[in-house]
Amino acid sequence: MIGCAIALTFALASQAPQPSLRELAEAGLKAKQAGDLEAAIRAFGQVAALAPELAAAHVNLGAALLEAKQYEKAAASLRRALALDPGLPGAHALLGTALLTQGYAAEAIPHLEKAQRWDLLGVALVESGRFAEAITAFERLLSERPDDPDLLYYLGRAHSQLSRQLFDRLLEAHPDSARAHQLLGEAHQAGGNREQAEKELRAALDRRSSLPEVHVMLGELYESAGDYARAEQEYRIEAQARPGDARAAFKLGAVLLALGRLEEALEWLERADRLRPDMAETLFELARALTLARRLPEAEARLRRVLELESSSRLAESAAFQLSQILRRQRKTEEADRELERWRRIRAGRSSGLPGK
Amino acid sequence: MLLAACTAILLGAMELVCPPGLDFILRHSPTSQKYIVETMTGGVALLDYDADGRLDIFLVNGGKLDDPVKPPVRLARHEPAYWNRLYRQQADGSFADVTVKAGLARAGESNYGMGAAVGDYDNDGYPDLYITNFGQNQLYRNNGDGTFTDVTAEAGVAAGGWSVSAGFLDYDRDGWLDLFVSRYLDWDFTRNLHCGTPFWAYCRPDRYEGVPNLLYRNLGNGRFEDVSEKAGIAKPVGKAMGVAFLDYDRDGFPDIFVSNDGMEQFLYRNLGNGRFKESAFEAGVALSDDGRTYAGMAVATGDYDNDGWPDVLVTNLALEHWALYRNEGGGVFRYATQESRLAAASASSSGWGAGLYDFDNDGWKDLFVARSHVLDNVERIHSGLRYKEPAALLWNRNGRFELAKLEGAPAVAGRGAAFGDLNNDGAIDVVVAVLGERPQVFLNRRGGNHWLTLRLVGTRSNRDGLGAKVRVGDQWAEAWRAGSYLSSSDARVHFGLGARMRVDVEIEWPSGRRQHLAGVRADQILEVREP
Repeated sequence: MIGCAIALTFALASQAPQPSLRELAEAGLKAKQAGDLEAAIRAFGQVAALAPELAAAHVNLGAALLEAKQYEKAAASLRRALALDPGLPGAHALLGTALLTQGYAAEAIPHLEKAQRWDLLGVALVESGRFAEAITAFERLLSERPDDPDLLYYLGRAHSQLSRQLFDRLLEAHPDSARAHQLLGEAHQAGGNREQAEKELRAALDRRSSLPEVHVMLGELYESAGDYARAEQEYRIEAQARPGDARAAFKLGAVLLALGRLEEALEWLERADRLRPDMAETLFELARALTLARRLPEAEARLRRVLELESSSRLAESAAFQLSQILRRQRKTEEADRELERWRRIRAGRSSGLPGK
Repeated sequence: MLLAACTAILLGAMELVCPPGLDFILRHSPTSQKYIVETMTGGVALLDYDADGRLDIFLVNGGKLDDPVKPPVRLARHEPAYWNRLYRQQADGSFADVTVKAGLARAGESNYGMGAAVGDYDNDGYPDLYITNFGQNQLYRNNGDGTFTDVTAEAGVAAGGWSVSAGFLDYDRDGWLDLFVSRYLDWDFTRNLHCGTPFWAYCRPDRYEGVPNLLYRNLGNGRFEDVSEKAGIAKPVGKAMGVAFLDYDRDGFPDIFVSNDGMEQFLYRNLGNGRFKESAFEAGVALSDDGRTYAGMAVATGDYDNDGWPDVLVTNLALEHWALYRNEGGGVFRYATQESRLAAASASSSGWGAGLYDFDNDGWKDLFVARSHVLDNVERIHSGLRYKEPAALLWNRNGRFELAKLEGAPAVAGRGAAFGDLNNDGAIDVVVAVLGERPQVFLNRRGGNHWLTLRLVGTRSNRDGLGAKVRVGDQWAEAWRAGSYLSSSDARVHFGLGARMRVDVEIEWPSGRRQHLAGVRADQILEVREP
């Protein structure tokens, strides 16, 4: 806004000599810089009253009002400015902000587009229910600000709202379709309503038996209640129907391991590892299986790889502990102690919410 | 309280019986406040208190809780309904309540009962009784005439706080049984938190601090000395539920395994100089194989794979798996839950009292577990889980466990479980304490396999022979009463012999003496005196 204020003083200087206007503009500028918004608004307001055709005067007044959180008045001033000079980019950004802050998201959008304020535009689009466009706006910024918490929050929210919108459309348009039942099954599963989840997932399969991933979901449902035998059945169907699916192979291998069927578990986990190398979960379960098979050096190698891929996650914590146990069994006491220390650090970091080193 | 009548049920290998006279009700007094003690009680002890050759049953009661409990806390244990009870087994298998006659009536006023430990601490040939409580504990000396005397004060073993499982062992091998008392949480009624939304539930142990375990050294004159600090037991502080003993490194000195709730387990390695070193991490028994803590409820020890090294089993809550640690020798264990197929068998089950015994006499130690979730409203929290569960018997088939069919076994809130041959028929029976109900008595319907039971009588060693190692063929067993949860089992050492009619027996007494018995005939209860 300093730019606008300077522009205003030049504009005033180029007109007929009106020292009182210039003095007023400078006083407004000084007051604003000093944080005295009331005085700034008063001074800029007088300037705008004395020179109502001067767009920059209204911009300055609008900016001060915006800063003073007088959004409605700010919007009025900025609209007047843009009516006088529609090309003022700063005024579009300010007006878009003022409107968005008041909840007039749809009205704010064209101004924010003109000002190329992608972050605020994304928010306005989310609030207007235009989620797909919002995602596009946010993704423009993502490479510049990959860890910006506001950006990540709004981008995630836009995705989830878009999903909800699409799912609502699915349920409305095709309520008895396989996908609708799958969707309801997933929702019940997430809500902990196991019986309903199972019913809906089964209904989905009744309608389309080849629906991918549904058997894995059913398997997870059974596994989470400790019913490994039924989980195995479901994972096996998925893994056999989709032999290239690493996740299904992993799930089957892991549950076979829990069932104590070591040879089969190894076979499926190794398959999952071949299908999608460097998947940390697979490597960890494979290491567990190799440990049981007394192939300790091979297990050790897998766990070391897990710890290269992950440093502070729950899986890293488990891998460090498992590695310490394997090393101790190989009588590598010092290394075992080091890994146990690593496990302690990761655990402490996770407990405190900070990453372990 | 309206209670279902006890019904005898045939359950395949076991028979759930209703012995006449065993009319005990475990009164735990559940409240809407969800005081944690309510769900934790249920000790059982099997002991032949009158030395008539038949096991008697001692059952620990809870206490009366108001809802809510208002200070000063009174648990109404003077009322007969809340007494602990001793039942004497009679020749016909029925039981007589001898609580009053034995001097065990009135369990106290400001305590809530938990568990029991049995041991002949004065080496007079009669088993004595130690009762753990939330509040002060009690030691009853067996007078040998069918009565007991409360000697808590003179023995100096009242402890206090919240004691849970306890057990007798001769840790310094001086011939006198010492006493280990595990303790749970730093909790009391005035500091009970409300946990769980939208349903109140018993709080997780991480909402409270732990408390140190206690070790009392028997001075041999009727008094005990608290050596917890100097023996290295008091630290680290745990949240114990179960305790069992084993000489895991075979150095001749008994070690102590303590199952802790929601934190790492403890393995106190006996250094042989009166001190212990907590060594669970070094030994690989602190956590599950993926480094996770678990609920650590009961602990059972025994050589399940017949390799000569005592293994450790810890029961846990559903979805945690019961942890089986296979002793590899050299002071190191391996997590064997998956390979033994216990992961699948225990995935949806919560285990309390547990024991590794050869229930079918085939030469492999099987597993019996009293089950129930800790939360009496768990179904509202996780619809895939159940609060009440039937007890489980798992056959050991060459080191792999498979669930036996106990079809028809009623689902109950099982807690403590004690093991022993109630009818002296050569098969291990089980008594399970049940919250709010009568105890369950599982009589083992012995099959055709042969067996041998040894009643050890120490002379230089402690009179019970606790800690003795016995080898029969390729089977090893250590003589202990402690283990399981809150409970104390038959001290006699039992072996299943399969088809074998005669066996050689080797005994390594706690004193260090070795004894060899050649060609011992099967199918007998043999008393063996330490030479």
